Amino acid sequence: MIDSKEIEKAIFETARELEDTAAQAAFLDQACNGQPAMRSRLGKLLALQSRAEEFFRVRPLDALTGGENGGSEPAEAAGIREEAGELVESVETVIGNYRLVKRLGEGGCGVVYQAEQQKPVRRLVALKIIRLGMDTETVIARFKAERQALAMMDHPNIAHVLDAGATASGRPYFVMELVQGVKITDYCNENNLDIPRRLRLFIQVCHAIQHAHQKGVIHRDIKPSNILVTMHDGMPMPKVIDFGIAKATEGRLTDNSLYTACDQFIGTPAYMSPEQANFSGLDVDTRSDIYSLGVLLYELLTGQTPFDSKELVRGGMDQMRRTLLEREPRPPSTLLTAMGNTKLTTVAAQHHAEAPRLISTLRGDLDWVVMKALEKDRARRYETANGLGMDVERYLNDEPVVARPPSRLYRLHKLIRRNRAVSISILAVSAALVIGLGTSTWFFFQERRYFLEAEQGRANEVLLRQQAETQAQVAQAAMLVGHNQFDMADQVVLHLPRPGGAMGGEGVLRPLGDRAAVQGRWHQAAQYFSLLNQVDQTETWDVGTLDDTRYAVSLLETGDRDGYERFRQSAITHISNTTDPVVAERTV
Amino acid sequence: MLLNAVAQGQHCASEELLPLVYDELRHLAAARLAGDEAGETLQPTALVHEAWLRLVKEGDRTWNNRAHFFRAAAQAMRRILVDRARHKLSLKCGQGGVKVPLEDVDVAALMVDDRVLLIDQCLDRLEKEDPDSAKVITLKFFGGLTNREVAGVLEITERSVERRWAYAKACLLQMIQEEK
Repeated sequence: MIDSKEIEKAIFETARELEDTAAQAAFLDQACNGQPAMRSRLGKLLALQSRAEEFFRVRPLDALTGGENGGSEPAEAAGIREEAGELVESVETVIGNYRLVKRLGEGGCGVVYQAEQQKPVRRLVALKIIRLGMDTETVIARFKAERQALAMMDHPNIAHVLDAGATASGRPYFVMELVQGVKITDYCNENNLDIPRRLRLFIQVCHAIQHAHQKGVIHRDIKPSNILVTMHDGMPMPKVIDFGIAKATEGRLTDNSLYTACDQFIGTPAYMSPEQANFSGLDVDTRSDIYSLGVLLYELLTGQTPFDSKELVRGGMDQMRRTLLEREPRPPSTLLTAMGNTKLTTVAAQHHAEAPRLISTLRGDLDWVVMKALEKDRARRYETANGLGMDVERYLNDEPVVARPPSRLYRLHKLIRRNRAVSISILAVSAALVIGLGTSTWFFFQERRYFLEAEQGRANEVLLRQQAETQAQVAQAAMLVGHNQFDMADQVVLHLPRPGGAMGGEGVLRPLGDRAAVQGRWHQAAQYFSLLNQVDQTETWDVGTLDDTRYAVSLLETGDRDGYERFRQSAITHISNTTDPVVAERTV
Repeated sequence: MLLNAVAQGQHCASEELLPLVYDELRHLAAARLAGDEAGETLQPTALVHEAWLRLVKEGDRTWNNRAHFFRAAAQAMRRILVDRARHKLSLKCGQGGVKVPLEDVDVAALMVDDRVLLIDQCLDRLEKEDPDSAKVITLKFFGGLTNREVAGVLEITERSVERRWAYAKACLLQMIQEEK
């Protein structure tokens, strides 16, 4: 038995297909023969159709995300049709002098179309118009602010604003040059650009951002998809597009609407600066863009962002914030060193270089420049985008760069700040230990000489570099340990270059000394710290006390009396040589 | 404010998160369900991820049951949208606003919020008389799904969706007009 409802639907659907009203009526008469109620009902329904279409033609979802006052206007009927069930501007729509060709994308409060300018010249442009259903006061103001900000800029590497206006119904729009190009990262990889070429593109981007900053505009969403490379006179030219969520620093955009608030947050996780992720209400300033530039540079050099996007998002918001705010990313050269072979080969090919060559190119100056831009503490980053650009230029000209690896003192300072309780107790132990037994320093220096002599075959430079590297990595490992990131710390340690390999035979570092010590594996702790100490010895002793005291403790525990005595004597020797009050204070 | 709540680590109700991320969530779901690992390359924002987690129960995260997901999401969106509309209207008119009889109002001139509420009211009635049509309306209007997505959920052809949607709209409008 067939549902009468189903029958009704079937008739409706069929009648609907008929274009001619007369034919429709005739069909209905036929189909509903003997059922006047149904005939009448169907007649009404069919008549209602167009009004029904109209009635349902609103997108409450858009109104929802448009701000507090969303949905205050009925949906614009003209120029809209359903395409694949979605509301889109009809491509026949003409807005001002521009005829819409196709939809390019959307972002923020606007939608971007490719359009054809009709007069005074015919050309293709990009037209950005405020979204349907979003024409509320606050959103319009914001859109206009963006328009204004863009119009103020005049730089070859920033997409130009050509025109601005509003539709008959008051929807604001603006027209920009159409940038047809590829993402900067894709461009570099597809063309296997080597490092210098990539850097030159990057410098141009820095100049563009600098220009924007000078005009009082923070981009806030710098990422590869917002920087397209086009060819201009045969030369690749990067262009920054989409200042969609840029906010003019002047002017009072005091929206407290949800939309703005979430806009602030919805950046791209991998490119978000720590302060952006923190949403502590801290005003994000131009240095946030510099962080993002750092991430871009990082990706241009290694093919990856410092933190993986997927990973960041996977852990949830809290985890993501913590990562961005606290976890130190690996310097580019370290990342590549730790990379799997196949991946490394691909990356190297994209950089038109051999893998070892690539790594050694990145090591040193370039590492430092990138890391300086990525500093968590924004006061330590480059102050201006130009500053970053110029340092890169200096590198290209073989001039010394401003960026420097953080000093041991600084690293230790950070480590101590995070582990106050532990530091204090360690210092107490250290004090107790120094008051100890006498011994000779001879063994120590003997060892050291042997160590250096054994390296005569190798270039001294390489050695020192490696040692510096080791220090950096060891400190990093220590910091990771401070965060209970033992696995990561292990990873770092496993890739430590071994200075000379003259470490008494085994030379393979097992889990960190700290952890080992904590777990009572004093022998391993001693081994680990022995390495640490060797590295310490090659530089002047400032405040390496933290490491050394643990070494001392571990030595004691293993019953390595000799080792301990050696250490102690060396400590005394060094201390008496120092004039640094900080050191004195720490050891007393 | 939502953002401060998040900053303070409070758990946001999915009612608050969902509307903000709904579009992305849908694309994500569609991509994932198509067995498409490109869903990962969409790089959903953290908000999306959170909403996703909340909407989806622990074990169901693989969402083989596409229909279930979309239906649930559409229902959730309906609730949210209706609440918002009510809230906004109450702000506009103040409490105990004057209720204008429908005959006096040209339906075409109604604001979005009014429409949302009217649709919601009559939808309950429609659900009793013609559940299939009501389903389509929920999925299309409140859920914002494309014809294609609806076809997948209801397991019918896209063409059928189009037809049913047309019918449902006409029916509902008629109901609205009949309401006193």
